[in-house]
Amino acid sequence: MTSWTRRGAAALLAAATTSLVLAACGDDSETSSENGSGDGQVSGELTVLTPIFEGAEGKALLEEELLPQFYEQYPDVTVTVDYTDYGSLNEKLTTAVASGLVPDVMMMGVGWIEAFAENGILADLGELGITVDDLSEDFTPEILAGGVWQDDLYAIPIMLDTRFGIARKDLLAEAGFDEPPSSLEELREYAIALTERDSGGQLQRAGFDMLSMDLRQMYEVFLFAHGGSLFSEDFTEPTFNSPEGVAALQYLVDLMHEDRVEDIGFSSTDIDVHPLLNDRAAMAVGHNNLWIQLQEAAPELADQLVPFTITGSEPGMFFGGTLATVSAGSDHPEAAAALVEFLTGPEAALGANEQRGNVPARTELLDSEYVQNNPLVQFAMENLEIAQREGGVPQWLEIRGDFTPAIEAALLGEKTPQQALDDLAGEAREAMAR
Amino acid sequence: MSAAMTQTTAASPVKRRFDGKRIALTCVLAFGAFTMIVPFLWMILTSVKGPGELIEFPPTFWPKEWAWSNYAEALDAAPFATYFRNSFIIATGHTIITLIFGAMAGYALARIPFRGRELVFLGFIAMLMIPTYTKIVPQFLIVKFMPLFGGNDILGQGGSGWLNTWWALLIPGGLSPFAIFLFRQFYLSLPRELEEAARIDGLGEFRIWGQVYTPLIKPALATVALLTFQDSWNNFLWPLLVTTRDDLRVIQVGLAVFRQEETTQWAYLMAGSTLATIPMVLLFLVAQRYFIQGFTNAGIK
Amino acid sequence: MTTKPSGTVAGSEPATARRWRSRRRPSASRKLRRAGWLMVAPALGHSILWIAIPVLATLVLSFTDYRVISAPRWVGLDNYIEIWNDAVFRKATWNTIVYTFFTVPVSMAVAVVIAVLLNQRIVGRTLYRAAFFLPHVTATVAIAMVWLWMYNPQYGLLNGLLSIVGLPGQVWLGNPDWALWSVIIVGIWQGIGIKMLIYLAALQNIDPNLYEAASIDGASKIQQFFSVTLPMLKPATFFVFVVSIIGAFQVFDQIYVLTDGGPANATTMMTYEVYRSAFQNFRMGMACAQSVVLFAFLIVLTVVNRRLTGGDDT
Repeated sequence: MTSWTRRGAAALLAAATTSLVLAACGDDSETSSENGSGDGQVSGELTVLTPIFEGAEGKALLEEELLPQFYEQYPDVTVTVDYTDYGSLNEKLTTAVASGLVPDVMMMGVGWIEAFAENGILADLGELGITVDDLSEDFTPEILAGGVWQDDLYAIPIMLDTRFGIARKDLLAEAGFDEPPSSLEELREYAIALTERDSGGQLQRAGFDMLSMDLRQMYEVFLFAHGGSLFSEDFTEPTFNSPEGVAALQYLVDLMHEDRVEDIGFSSTDIDVHPLLNDRAAMAVGHNNLWIQLQEAAPELADQLVPFTITGSEPGMFFGGTLATVSAGSDHPEAAAALVEFLTGPEAALGANEQRGNVPARTELLDSEYVQNNPLVQFAMENLEIAQREGGVPQWLEIRGDFTPAIEAALLGEKTPQQALDDLAGEAREAMAR
Repeated sequence: MSAAMTQTTAASPVKRRFDGKRIALTCVLAFGAFTMIVPFLWMILTSVKGPGELIEFPPTFWPKEWAWSNYAEALDAAPFATYFRNSFIIATGHTIITLIFGAMAGYALARIPFRGRELVFLGFIAMLMIPTYTKIVPQFLIVKFMPLFGGNDILGQGGSGWLNTWWALLIPGGLSPFAIFLFRQFYLSLPRELEEAARIDGLGEFRIWGQVYTPLIKPALATVALLTFQDSWNNFLWPLLVTTRDDLRVIQVGLAVFRQEETTQWAYLMAGSTLATIPMVLLFLVAQRYFIQGFTNAGIK
Repeated sequence: MTTKPSGTVAGSEPATARRWRSRRRPSASRKLRRAGWLMVAPALGHSILWIAIPVLATLVLSFTDYRVISAPRWVGLDNYIEIWNDAVFRKATWNTIVYTFFTVPVSMAVAVVIAVLLNQRIVGRTLYRAAFFLPHVTATVAIAMVWLWMYNPQYGLLNGLLSIVGLPGQVWLGNPDWALWSVIIVGIWQGIGIKMLIYLAALQNIDPNLYEAASIDGASKIQQFFSVTLPMLKPATFFVFVVSIIGAFQVFDQIYVLTDGGPANATTMMTYEVYRSAFQNFRMGMACAQSVVLFAFLIVLTVVNRRLTGGDDT
């Protein structure tokens, strides 16, 4: 008798489980087939999931300054905001999609759009009246491409995170260099000259710091500078293990081991202070928001930080960023699209960027006071046409996590750059075939 | 009386005070304790450093100037009063649920023979063995499809279930098999003469549990209360997932504001963390007062 | 199941005898049994809904390709085959085993000794107790920062100490040969507090008369520790051991804040891979399969442990 009940209970549990999963999926397809009927007046209650506008300050900016302007235009729309941090955005999005309760407007990163669009979670903004052509005057093509999947627009960028070379002018001058390096050869030469070790060989100052930046993004800067790309033009093949990609990684390995401009363990992404700010590095691959840290902690260095593009066969600069999307299942797609347009519009985007020290995606904002007063952001904006992004394939989120271990393996000498990248490309191919 | 007994284990401290072994032991203990305190000290000291000092190299340990204003500024960065209150309500709720139902289950598993007991016990242990990250999506779905709540029909469709409610914050994390297991072990360590006598006296099991055994395991109650409270106080991901409204969020969510993708505001983060830690330290000091001989000679001849 | 029922008189009877007796004295025994189920019921119901069902879901989903953002697709054993062939997960499994093997016994031994010492009347006892418990309440990031500082190859304390004795410094967390050991040290250090707390609570339940009797028999303090304290701590030790193994097998925080699994996967652990699959790679089906493998390891370890030690009968 007991065994019967137990089996019955197990069956019940299994049924409950599957029904949960099925219910979740059913819900999803059900809602996505719905279409807004908002002809004429745009109205509805919208939910927004955002990793930006964080903290009391961000909330005040969004809900007290920006949204009231939106309500003036669309008095019948109400907006409820769900704030999260970037670290938990995956979890928030994942559980939301699994349960079918997807926010009307979602912010996500460059490289995410492909996967979410491919799975039918995002609304084609073209169907809501926003097309790439409409926006091509406001954004550069490569920036807009971050929101495009198979020629349709699914997301509009708000802010960009850019990575490029940053040097300390005063330290360059001490070594007799007037300008930051303009080629890979010069970068190497300067880095060697600027490296300082004590009598015991302990590194005191890295000539060129590569380790404070996420290794994948750091590598990508050099990949782009070597004229390489992550994937083939049609996004069917990984190409980072091309001769250009291997040369880029080899260049980094040589800097570390031949030229010894930095030692493993000298810095890491966990460090609390960027080595450029406390004289522990003379040059680095840096993020534009280093300016914020500088203003807080070392304002006296304001005139000493000079950005430069890391230039090989072409100039290399990397951008990621935050984009706004509309859920395919939204009950009020017109209202949601209007909100996305508003949030990515000049005023809202400027405020959001200013709060985080990031680079506005809109070209026109180059002239804003904020950008003009932030040399790193200004530099990034002036060079947006050379900036390249990551992603392009829907499996990118799956592939990107394997980059760092692969690059570490090469930097540690466990694998040759060719081996490391070939293995990585193998994994990428497997993921793309799944 | 029993206090005097404990002292026998530390036989006449006066005579041994200058014993070399004892001094060595004290040194080891003191050194060990010191290594345990360092991160806590670092947290407090960092919380009062100014931005200029934080970037100094090599890093300073002792602040040159004490920037107490960090605390006020950190508290302004998020609605910490609300977060604090919410964390307190949730942690208290979890602790109460655990102390009642966890102790009850632990008692039954330890002291009442019933068929299937061993299986239930192993089941509880097994439930500890799957990592949070795979359980969390199904748990979220159960919350969302909770029938008859939040606009859901009897099949759990149509609404948002327990999402954005106190239910979701209080119930799913309310009881951990960990607590049940710990309670069981403590009830197990008590002599069985007590229950036999009580059962012969005709006491019901609930009274034996509540009046005979549970008063004897105050140290366990204090331990479980402390650990449960602290666990739920530190909870971050679950409260973030099941709520979308700011007024239901908790203190750890507030602290996340200081940690962004590319930068961490160390001084503020440490100021907030210090404030979040102090209640836990106080709670420990209260709880450890119950770490006294729980074993009285009551009822044993 | 396979082990002796623990703890009580009736539990040690053979099943047939019990049934026979219950027929003869139905009321008392049935009442007892009903009370047992009644007292377990709320906790059991809660755990079934909130844990057992999600665990079952994990099992079912482990046979699917489930991206969370798309519907699950049945793939049979594909995930398990991929795990079997996955060098990184194999490394994670090995790392987890090494980590558990070293952190659990060492921190348990240290914890029990400290608990016994802090159960005596020594000056500043409360302060010591609080100190040893502090790592458990200190913000994880603060702990990580201090250890990163200890291990820092340039200005870290550890290399400083080594240079005093004339030994060469190491790049502790950046060197694949040292990184796992560095993480293990942190694991031991951090695990002591909570284990000490549980032992300290358990020590309160030891009958002082036992020590008295032992000392009358002429047992020294050390002998008393082995002949009285340790045997009386058996239920607590069983708990600490099982929970520590489960905890060590699911180590995540230290890895997340100290090494991110690096360098070159040298410190990745099973739970870290589960996290990566679930929320970085959006492969929930794979994460579930990895969890099931982890679960299988823990079940085997627990059953073996219970067989070897005979459980926790007092």
